[in-house]
Amino acid sequence: MIALVRNEVMKILLKKKMPLIMILLLIFVGLLSYGQNYAYERNIDQFEAESGETAFDWQGLTTQRLDELEERSQNEAIPGEVRASFDREIEQLNYFIENDINPVTPTAAKFNVSFAEQGITLFIPLLIAILAADLVSSEFSRKTIKILLTRAVPRWKVLLSKYIALLIMTTLLVFIIGITTTLVSYLFFQEWGFSEPIVTGFTLFEGTLNSDSTILIPRYQYTLLIYSLVWFVSIIVASITLLISLIVDTSASAIGILMAALIGGQFLQFFLSDWELVKYFFVTNLDLTRYLTGSYQPVEGMSLNFSILILSVWAIGSIAISFIVFNRRDVLV
Amino acid sequence: MDTSVLKVSHLKKLIQKKLIIEDVSFDIQAGEIVGFLGPNGSGKTTTLRMIVGLSTPTSGDVEICGYSLKKEFVKAMSNVGCIIEGPDLYDYMSGYRNLELLASMSKDVTKKDIDEAVALVGMENRIHDKVAVYSMGMKQRIGLAQALIHKPRLLILDEPTNGLDPQGIHEFREIVKNLAREKNISVLISSHLISEVQLMCDRVSIINNGRIIRSASIDDALVTGEVVWTLDDPQKAQLLLKSTFKVEAAIAGHTLRATVDPERLSEINNTLIASGFDITYVEHKKRTLEDLFLSLTDKHTI
Repeated sequence: MIALVRNEVMKILLKKKMPLIMILLLIFVGLLSYGQNYAYERNIDQFEAESGETAFDWQGLTTQRLDELEERSQNEAIPGEVRASFDREIEQLNYFIENDINPVTPTAAKFNVSFAEQGITLFIPLLIAILAADLVSSEFSRKTIKILLTRAVPRWKVLLSKYIALLIMTTLLVFIIGITTTLVSYLFFQEWGFSEPIVTGFTLFEGTLNSDSTILIPRYQYTLLIYSLVWFVSIIVASITLLISLIVDTSASAIGILMAALIGGQFLQFFLSDWELVKYFFVTNLDLTRYLTGSYQPVEGMSLNFSILILSVWAIGSIAISFIVFNRRDVLV
Repeated sequence: MDTSVLKVSHLKKLIQKKLIIEDVSFDIQAGEIVGFLGPNGSGKTTTLRMIVGLSTPTSGDVEICGYSLKKEFVKAMSNVGCIIEGPDLYDYMSGYRNLELLASMSKDVTKKDIDEAVALVGMENRIHDKVAVYSMGMKQRIGLAQALIHKPRLLILDEPTNGLDPQGIHEFREIVKNLAREKNISVLISSHLISEVQLMCDRVSIINNGRIIRSASIDDALVTGEVVWTLDDPQKAQLLLKSTFKVEAAIAGHTLRATVDPERLSEINNTLIASGFDITYVEHKKRTLEDLFLSLTDKHTI
């Protein structure tokens, strides 16, 4: 089995998919972080021009916000949980002042998270599709499926080895995305920012934002959290792509079908968000990271747990169907 | 004990409600080379696909070295090497990588086995080049090596000489014959090149419209039963044949031509000699395999 998995990993590597993905990633990440840095500097210039100051006084602004928060939390009339959230913001701002960190500076830690948050619904699934789409279909289009299936290895093992190889490569890809976004954006921003605190853990309770359970965690923990969600979503997308790749005969149609599903899913969610069924479609559930920011609820009744459950059902279903189809299929190429 | 290396019994295959294979049965003994002939669309490749497990028979079973393909796929397939409408190779790898990859899918295939297979098909010099730059003939050689690395007892070759030059075909034939003779490997070859089959095979099975219509050793298949005598007095001999053996013979110059059961031939010859005829030559007319093939698969429409 290990030998089979090694073969499959070798095939993916020799097909030079990874360099292609790296190039795409570098171009995007480079452009985005350059653009963000450029926009940030322009904003500061503009601010300075308007206020007539020679240096952007973030300490002043932050202290101002701090005073305001402290004043409001003195107010007896406000409920306890709101005060708690004020306290956490005060704590956060104090950290910035004490450590002399400008809270609005773009940092590598912020960039890799926002890249993951933005990419999780489309860009990262696209990269996964490049990896996974020809996993099975290329064996059929190159007709090499015949030499794979006429060896003394049962068919389910052949497919399982492909699936495991795909999981390995997907995991590797998520690491690569995390590392590339961090390193490239650091080149532009010159700030890591991994120890800065961030407020997270909002929950939605009866339609209002509940900050009871919010906590202050360092950025690196938040990054790890976001990337675990990205990894989970990538595994799901990889499993679904495997099924598509098995049903169609060319990798072009496999990528096409997956893209159509992803984009069509966004449309569905946009236009038909009050239609109950939409929330059971996997694409609607891909945006896991946005649940962490609080008020997100794409369709009534959706939550992080709900989405994780739906995605798992889709992935397990896809894998089950893949194995059944692959085992029964007559190879006529 | 049944010694068949391959035993195909009552295979039937429906594809999209069309009966492609009606009823195909045959078997192959150890060391035997069997030719599998049939016009396009006769079900040749479909049968071979079912034998190697690429497609599942609607009914019937295939046994390889006593293992049922249905029930003991892995054991059965570990005895088979095949090229089905191939050769199929990963063209982004070197020939050697291709072999390594398949070697790792079988138990106990060593580097030495790979090297031996490479040497056998004469590809030592180019084995580390990418498959993408190989000629068709080189790919065929690698394909054969692929089929041989795990030392199978049964070799199934579908159109193995496609794209080979005459010298390549000759070498290929010698390799296959040697494998059968020295290593006792059984071979099932399908080919359009009938002369090829005639030169290589011990037996031949002809399939048409999903049925085996003739299965016999090459020698038996080619016997027409027509005998030609060259002798001093054909007219007299003609009368003798007619009166004694009730055989109608035709005269052409100094020769006499008749259709005779091969078993009676020596009796007839003895009688002719005893009657004082001077026989210079007796020839047992054989037809070519091509004639047989065409006569059996006549009036064929796809």
